[in-house]
Amino acid sequence: MSDLTTHAETETASAVPSRPRAAYEATIERIFAHTPDTRSFFLRLPDGPCLSFKPGQFISLLLPVAGETLIRPYSIASSPEEGNLLEICLNLVPGGPGSHYLFARGLGEVLRFTGPWGTFVLDQPPEAACVFIADGAGIAPIRPMIRCALASEQRSPLHLLYNAPREGDLLYRQEWEAYARDYRRFTFEPLLSDPLSGWSGLCGPLMEYVERRYVNQDSDRSRHFYICGVGQQVTQLRDLLRRAGYQRRAVQYEKW
Amino acid sequence: MAKLRVLYETGEPERVIEFDPAQAPFQHDGQSGSILDVLLGHGVHLEHACGGNCACTTCHVIVKSGMAHLCENSETEDDLLDKAPGLTPTSRLGCQAIIDGGEVVVLIPRYTINQQV
Repeated sequence: MSDLTTHAETETASAVPSRPRAAYEATIERIFAHTPDTRSFFLRLPDGPCLSFKPGQFISLLLPVAGETLIRPYSIASSPEEGNLLEICLNLVPGGPGSHYLFARGLGEVLRFTGPWGTFVLDQPPEAACVFIADGAGIAPIRPMIRCALASEQRSPLHLLYNAPREGDLLYRQEWEAYARDYRRFTFEPLLSDPLSGWSGLCGPLMEYVERRYVNQDSDRSRHFYICGVGQQVTQLRDLLRRAGYQRRAVQYEKW
Repeated sequence: MAKLRVLYETGEPERVIEFDPAQAPFQHDGQSGSILDVLLGHGVHLEHACGGNCACTTCHVIVKSGMAHLCENSETEDDLLDKAPGLTPTSRLGCQAIIDGGEVVVLIPRYTINQQV
């Protein structure tokens, strides 16, 4: 087990990619079931310097499964300010050995990981309006991004468009609704793809809604987008927005 | 048969792997037959923090020769490479660059931006 100084050392010019990086160890301190197949794991690092990461980055868990070490990246759903307690949020993937391994873990068990990694980050919000588009558990990296943007001195509008099958699948919903009450520049828009009867909010395919709202309804192309989800829909959204005239670098995304 | 020659900016000894592209995948991370797949399947480490899912740049390699034997870049790969330190006109992500034959020579750069915050 390496301590956190290992991380500090790799920030200098000593990183050597031809050898595996040293891993951290963290203890599972809490498990929260958002739904039957979506859980947050709260990982406690040892006392000492905090793990430094940017909102949006991920860690790569090293999971001992079937005699080998699986590398499974999971976005950090907590904020850097929360110190050495990291939250990851994930779905149980049918047939997925990594998520099945994690869902079988209990409190007090130790997980190894490397990181932080990734370039899908928002640590300095742009002056332009930001639209965050999350699909399902793709909300995980966007959560610390929004918190960071709200805490910044920028005053540009922030909008969260959150797509999920049903209301119960909207993760951190109370947090989004509280931000919408407390911050005039933050708006929250849930979009359900398979709502139960009685849902009076937005519903329907995410692609169609984004095209209608951000491509057809106005000619403003100054927005910045941060998109995260699973599968080809993420790159389809990227292509839709870039072809519509949004700047390439203003459309950031992470596809899992 | 194809040949993959790996040079290291750190000065480590080069590695040469001869393989049959038709036998890919050689393991389970990255695109089947990619530089990452060939290296890991032959016991040569290449960082791949995202598990070979084209979500980071830790498997960044610089192609010194044999570019014509690699598949074309996708937009997702190019978007990620934009953020790779030491980007060159022949940079590729090891997890995405599939070798179709011939001889390919790659340089493993020294640094990665992903862990820098």
